[in-house]
Amino acid sequence: MNASADVGLLLRGLHEPLRIDEGRWDRLLRLGRVSGLHARLAATNLDNPALTAVVRRHLLSAQRMAAYRTQMLRAELFRLAPLVTDDFPVIVLKGAAYVLQQRRLSVGRFVSDVDLLVPRPQLRTMESRLLDAGWRAEKLEAYDERYYRDWSHETPPMRYPGSTLELDLHHALTPVTGSLAFDPASLFARSEAIPGTPFRALCAEDQVLHACVHCFHDGELDLRLREVVDIDGLLRAFAEAPGFSARLRQRAAELGLERPLWYGLHFAEAWLGCLPAHELKASLPPPGALARRSMDALVPLSMLPSDPDFPPPMRVAIARTLLRSRYQWLRMPPHLLFPHLLRKSWRRLRARADANGQADGMP
Amino acid sequence: MARSARMAKLNYRLIEVGAARLAVFSPIESFHEHLDIVYPHQDLLEDEDFADVRVSLLPGSRWRPGGRQVSLWSEGLRPFEPYPLHSALPLFEWGSNWLLARRLNAYLLFHAGVVARGERAVLLPAAPGAGKTTLSCALHLAGWRFLSDEFGVVDPESGDILPMVRPAPLKNRSIEIIGERPGAVLGPRFPKTRKGDVAHFVPDRDSFDQRHRPATPALIVFPRFAAGAKLSHAPVPPAQAAMRLGLNSFNYESLGPVGFAALVALARRTPAYELVYGDVDAAIDRIDTLFASAPR
Repeated sequence: MNASADVGLLLRGLHEPLRIDEGRWDRLLRLGRVSGLHARLAATNLDNPALTAVVRRHLLSAQRMAAYRTQMLRAELFRLAPLVTDDFPVIVLKGAAYVLQQRRLSVGRFVSDVDLLVPRPQLRTMESRLLDAGWRAEKLEAYDERYYRDWSHETPPMRYPGSTLELDLHHALTPVTGSLAFDPASLFARSEAIPGTPFRALCAEDQVLHACVHCFHDGELDLRLREVVDIDGLLRAFAEAPGFSARLRQRAAELGLERPLWYGLHFAEAWLGCLPAHELKASLPPPGALARRSMDALVPLSMLPSDPDFPPPMRVAIARTLLRSRYQWLRMPPHLLFPHLLRKSWRRLRARADANGQADGMP
Repeated sequence: MARSARMAKLNYRLIEVGAARLAVFSPIESFHEHLDIVYPHQDLLEDEDFADVRVSLLPGSRWRPGGRQVSLWSEGLRPFEPYPLHSALPLFEWGSNWLLARRLNAYLLFHAGVVARGERAVLLPAAPGAGKTTLSCALHLAGWRFLSDEFGVVDPESGDILPMVRPAPLKNRSIEIIGERPGAVLGPRFPKTRKGDVAHFVPDRDSFDQRHRPATPALIVFPRFAAGAKLSHAPVPPAQAAMRLGLNSFNYESLGPVGFAALVALARRTPAYELVYGDVDAAIDRIDTLFASAPR
């Protein structure tokens, strides 16, 4: 029994009920927890008659936690709804959109934050509406504040007092300083109203592209397997719609997002056997051999869970550092990037020294 | 971790505490000796199947200035700050309880001590510091069956309470208060942990052997220790009891309608009292009286 065989089983279990013994379920639930997919396992397996009582209890537990988080998300959206008026569009991104649109992939999907997209000219208006209504911004150092304001594509995270969810206000899907930056105007033009709510959602093609950009061009590497599972879920949901593939291809070319789309399709196919991804990928220009080989080596190491019995091996840490560097490289031009990284490393060292000082004599 | 250990299957030590099964791997010998002391009734089990919590306690660098540390690893992650190497047991007990509280949502979990006579249980829900661990241990030494000092595990389907028989972490002055009582068995004392000095009280073999025997809630007592206080008790009406039970639950909110229904049913059919005490023996006598008068 090795880790990669178990990861394969985990991925299979997201789409079909499994017939495995308790020992195997033990491993699978651990891998599911560490990748945030245990409630997805529950969605396909809770009615599985082959489950023993203890395994069923754990799936039930995961399902209840995911349902609770979704309920908290609905409460947050309920509070947000009165702030959305006719003067400018407010788009809900990712998890919140999947829930409001009642997509199948939202069942058992853990929601951790709410992401809103508004036109840049209205960013301040929306921000002050939120502050007036009680949301509070996280206290940041002046440098971090500037990083968000000038070089990023979102405001510093906000939170409603007592809420478990963070709210991120975006004015673009990609960092404004990055090589993938594009004018977000067409996102609004093509967005769709979500019936029964004042919110809008990205059109199907843009939802897929956003999931790909977020997965392969964002700094956080934990739980990224979840993002590929999202891409797979979206593609399966949209594949039936007439003309979807052609529109997605065209849209990726328009926005200059063919590369992240290719990687999204590639890993959705490789890890989840996503058939629509297989067909689409063939019609896109592939990345160069070197880029492709390095991504094939680094992405599985850093995004798939490693053996849960052991601390992650050194090669995982190295792969994550390399991917994070790639992300920073794509995100900021060198004259901004190097001073930024220097400052961050200096602060990390200082924080570590502080923590060590405090830990002494404090069990 | 040595390469050879990586290839081999880890040799987990299994501990069955009733409502949950724990598996722990550690190369630290003193930790295993401590486990022998605080889980003296646990037979050796073959590790072949399922555990609710599976963790490793691994030592940190030998060369760390300020002393060697131990970390708790769960699914390849370290959810907590490391402890000093000799405090592996408190880290394991505290950390595994934290993990259990997050993943046993098939049950309604109260922050409560539980003792029973046969299959009739007293639930003692309280916030940390209210003396619930001390009182649970004292009741056990006075002849009550020990189900838990920390988790009131309620099965929402049957309404029964399931035992979670683990060593009870006594803190600071409680170590003497309980340790001096006849029959008390305590593990080693761990000085200056995050919660002060800690020593684990070991429940007796009878309670451990009955760890799979559920009990029906017969009485709810909200205890509150106040130094020098005169003993007093007051009935808590069901609606209020429900509110206070909710406040003392780990997962009442996240269970949604299931939690609400189970909590209301429990508060409706179980008499509840508030008990303020300054003397443990007087509190035990009063709980005996209230228990005797509770409807069967």
